[in-house]
Amino acid sequence: MTTNKAIYIRGKTAGVFPSLSSRRDEAYVGFIEDARNVLLHAQQKPLSEYCRHMIKDAGKTLNSDQKNTAEAKDLLMKDNVLKTYYRVKRTLQESFWECLRNSFDMRKNDLLQALDDAESIGPGSVEYSSEFLTPEYANTEIHIQPGGNVNEPLSGFLYDYGAKVFMGGAADNDMLSDMQASTVAVPKDGKVKRILDLGCSAGVTTTAMKRIYPDAEIWGIDFSSHMVRYAHARAIENNYDINFKQMLAEDLNFEDNNFDIIVANLLFHEVPVSVSKKILSETLRVLRPGGSFTLIDFPGDKNGDVYGMFFGEMDAADNGEPFLPGFVRSNVEDIMKETGFEMEVYDPSKSLLAGRIGYKPIN
Amino acid sequence: MIDDKSKDLENFDNLPGFKRGNPTYFENEVIDHLIDITLELGAELWVVKDRLAHLEEILSNENKVSLNSLDNDKPSEELQKKLNNERIQLIKRIYGRLYSKYGGESADEKSAI
Repeated sequence: MTTNKAIYIRGKTAGVFPSLSSRRDEAYVGFIEDARNVLLHAQQKPLSEYCRHMIKDAGKTLNSDQKNTAEAKDLLMKDNVLKTYYRVKRTLQESFWECLRNSFDMRKNDLLQALDDAESIGPGSVEYSSEFLTPEYANTEIHIQPGGNVNEPLSGFLYDYGAKVFMGGAADNDMLSDMQASTVAVPKDGKVKRILDLGCSAGVTTTAMKRIYPDAEIWGIDFSSHMVRYAHARAIENNYDINFKQMLAEDLNFEDNNFDIIVANLLFHEVPVSVSKKILSETLRVLRPGGSFTLIDFPGDKNGDVYGMFFGEMDAADNGEPFLPGFVRSNVEDIMKETGFEMEVYDPSKSLLAGRIGYKPIN
Repeated sequence: MIDDKSKDLENFDNLPGFKRGNPTYFENEVIDHLIDITLELGAELWVVKDRLAHLEEILSNENKVSLNSLDNDKPSEELQKKLNNERIQLIKRIYGRLYSKYGGESADEKSAI
């Protein structure tokens, strides 16, 4: 699409991401991505074993309650290996955001103009309002992304490319979202006309759903106008007919019984538990009887141990994930059941690839 | 516009991570800064190595080079593949020893998901 020419002026990286503004920036961020893979992701398994041994050697249990987690945190963060791991993690995170922001800022006016131009082009649509009331929790700078998703007009670019780095290549060519979308539950009668993606962000899951259901009417909603603008531009680049709209997942502006499939990919750990409950009520309302809801997110603490909670609490403090520990402790599948969903058996070991699945009861 | 009414949801302003801090992890913050510095130096070293390899490729193919092509063009697929491999080896060689206490440097770098 010619409208998106400014966005993809240097082509695409890893199939889907707008290339950065210079070769220098690509090399820098490539280093950070590999450093994250080698020094963080690859260390997770040995590090978790190392920590669990340390906890046991100190005579403590692996129970994940709050008291034990606080004690484990005190113990583990006295260790120089752990201090190094978290220093490296924080530094790499700050470094790639600074580079991405500077890189996209170099052509900020052109990129914003491209998003403006894309609004009048289909297929699909984008709708947002300057009068939209943004809840304060939405101001979180998730993953310490500068300005978060709400207060930085280029947040779509930052978040999308940031996900490439953050996921260590798993998001390249939309591979991860395609895998996740392939696990989204189908209504029991198999009829799929309308699909809703809650907290759609850059629209990556939304477009993955469109690839599976090309004839369905698909909606992606997000509280950030900047994100839905970017999601629309990203979608029209591939000629996907999707409707993006600025909307709160806890206050859905759709009629009752409207959707056959609803999906929320990594949304729930980014909102307070009180908001999660409202989102689930709204989801049940707009889902048609027999329709499916798939919630893809981290497992709850009843399926984990103190190391998992320690890791989550460190992420909350140092990686801009303030609501993650609360989400993990909420064991959201239980809240889904209380809300009225008919739940399928859930496998927490596959949490990021296969979600909690609930259906709206037919009667 | 910010919805002030939502403030009564939870006391989330006090949650860790809601407001950006500047955490240090060592009692002696100089160690934090030294790790910062070595990672930044590594990244900048890699930028120079990448640019040199790209320059050499352009020169060997076309015998002419411009700042524009160095800044905007991308290396050949073959060179990019070689650079990707070299970058990982460089990171392992320089930084892998940080985790030698539990043998972490030999871990598979693609185990993120």
